[in-house]
Amino acid sequence: MMQTAEQIVQEPRLRHALTELLYQLADDELCLGHRDSEWLGLAPDIEGDVAFSSIAQDEVGHAVFYLERLHELGEAKPDQLAFFRGPGERRNAILLEQPNGDWARTIVRHFLYDIFDDIRMEALLQSSFHSLAQGVVKIRREEHYHLLHHKMWFTRLAQAGGEARQRMEQAVSEVWMEVGGLFSLGEVEEEMLHYGLIACGSEGLAQRWAERMRPLFDEAGLNWPGMPVKPKRDGRKGEHTKDLERLIQTMSEVVGSDPDAQW
Amino acid sequence: MITDQRHEQFMERIQRGEKIEATDWMPDEYRKLLLKLIHMHAVSEIMGAFPEKEWVPKAPTLKRKLAIMAKVQDEVGHGQLLLRVAEDLAAPLGKTREDLMEDLIEGRVKFHNVFHMESPTWADAGVIGWLVDGAAIINQAALLSTSYGPYARVLKRICAEESFHMQHGENIILALAGGSKEQRRMLQEAVNRWWESLIFFFGPVEVTDAARRMIDYRIRTKTNEELRQQFLKKYVPRIHSLGLTIPDPNLRYDEESEKWIFTEPDWKKFGEIVRYNQGPKSQERLKLRRFAHEDQRWVREAMVRSQKMQVV
Amino acid sequence: MERDHRVEYDVFEVFIQKTQADHHVHVGSVVAPSPDVALTTARENFLRREKAVNLWVVPKEAIVATSYDIPGWFAREMDRKYREVGGYSENARLWKMYREKAMKLEDIVRDLNRKPGYADGVNRR
Repeated sequence: MMQTAEQIVQEPRLRHALTELLYQLADDELCLGHRDSEWLGLAPDIEGDVAFSSIAQDEVGHAVFYLERLHELGEAKPDQLAFFRGPGERRNAILLEQPNGDWARTIVRHFLYDIFDDIRMEALLQSSFHSLAQGVVKIRREEHYHLLHHKMWFTRLAQAGGEARQRMEQAVSEVWMEVGGLFSLGEVEEEMLHYGLIACGSEGLAQRWAERMRPLFDEAGLNWPGMPVKPKRDGRKGEHTKDLERLIQTMSEVVGSDPDAQW
Repeated sequence: MITDQRHEQFMERIQRGEKIEATDWMPDEYRKLLLKLIHMHAVSEIMGAFPEKEWVPKAPTLKRKLAIMAKVQDEVGHGQLLLRVAEDLAAPLGKTREDLMEDLIEGRVKFHNVFHMESPTWADAGVIGWLVDGAAIINQAALLSTSYGPYARVLKRICAEESFHMQHGENIILALAGGSKEQRRMLQEAVNRWWESLIFFFGPVEVTDAARRMIDYRIRTKTNEELRQQFLKKYVPRIHSLGLTIPDPNLRYDEESEKWIFTEPDWKKFGEIVRYNQGPKSQERLKLRRFAHEDQRWVREAMVRSQKMQVV
Repeated sequence: MERDHRVEYDVFEVFIQKTQADHHVHVGSVVAPSPDVALTTARENFLRREKAVNLWVVPKEAIVATSYDIPGWFAREMDRKYREVGGYSENARLWKMYREKAMKLEDIVRDLNRKPGYADGVNRR
């Protein structure tokens, strides 16, 4: 049954489950978009620099969409949510708050996340929150290019052998430590499923992801490191690292100097 | 003798207002002047990304974050367009993208003085968008009529995008100008910081030999001073209208000569900053470019290698 | 490890098709290690604002072109009005003798989207 924001705010448990889900979506995209933008002017070639920046903008744009839905549900305004929530209130996976590392790590993290994000959005297409289901259709269209872009880079760098392959293997082993954190749906997973906000639980997301990811590793000639394990800390429960603290500090430096001013 | 005749025909084409193309015969001097100009223009766009880039992670609202990302991206994109023009000009000299980039890193090509300077506050991001881009737009718009076809074509595209940059920069500074006392102070300080660089940006008042030759070849059609006067005419009244001051006690409009009178910048200081890359941020930003180009050569190598492997 | 210090990308010319009713139009070029990379970077280097339905990237060497140095290539010096609309301006005057107006292609295209009737400009009573 499709529901609107007005209907949902009447039911506190439903509203809570939905806001948790939306924060996970928004914070994943915001962190990643912010990290992506750190590559501006620094990518391996000029053409690629321009292309990667578009991806960064798309991610931030998607975060804005989710933050707007949160505002519809009575949460603060998108800017307030983006700049003034502390680490404990953030619901992104820890993987996405980590610094970029080299180009290999950037590509590996992004590609692994993009596949996950696609599977998650697939599970949101029938979401009982009407405007989320609608938005996800549009966002998925934009993510198509990201998938294409990152699959190409992932496969080619891994296939190239030499230093590139070593770096890719190193990146995979580093990213694997935290990649399991993507699949968590946090503390109210059951409610999310119960209310039909998302069609697939964390176990299912992880399974589907592995099913899609494994052949892509084969294609790239990379060893599949086995099913990712659950990391110690769960970003979906507000457990984060110093990296996120620093990210928030940087992001809110200007606006934090005078939160009441118009910027 | 043949060369003389060709040269004469070439100049006739220029005087008829025809455009020259990459594959056309052209005098060495024309190629060299053009290449120097466009190479510098290209790397300035690329280096110009850095002072604003510092503010991308710190942009104070989501809208500003997206806008400044898009703006810096455009600058890099302009660098791309211009590099391609420069590369085609440099091809007969045996030079490629890699060489043009190495020239920058090794200090063999200069980039605009403004991009050697510090941008310590958010207001600098605004002033770069407003005044530095404003100055650059005047420069670029004046080059739209250049005799070199490929340059004219990319400038058309670049100028179209610059019109978004103008709005972007103005929007940031208008918010600051209408904001708190502290925001206005920040804006005023940024204007103070950038003013002398902006006056220098247009180059020496006298028409140098190289500039004269460029005008002869219709690579450019306006002198440095004509462009600087345009800038002053357009921007001084606007800066004043916001209640901001300009850090030049001698700045005034002289009715008689119909010209803006200004204090000359420290030509020597800025000249050396540009020539030897010894501005406050020159080395730091070149280090970033070196990181992009040299530390990531392995990526480009790998991509070329994997393509060769696929073709075989 | 052996290092090939000169990494040279290839040049690809970029063509954009705005709608399927248009041809592809050349907009510039990119350097890229392969055609598939060229396609993905061309999209962002040339279509950050404009819309399109299709993209071509073509290796620069594949382009065969005329020379600007040979003006004769495009010379059309003699009268060719006979093959242009403007060469038939007398039709209007002649039709007038028969109390009819000269017909233009634009009229035909426009009227195709209107209701059929007895004749243009005539109301049948």
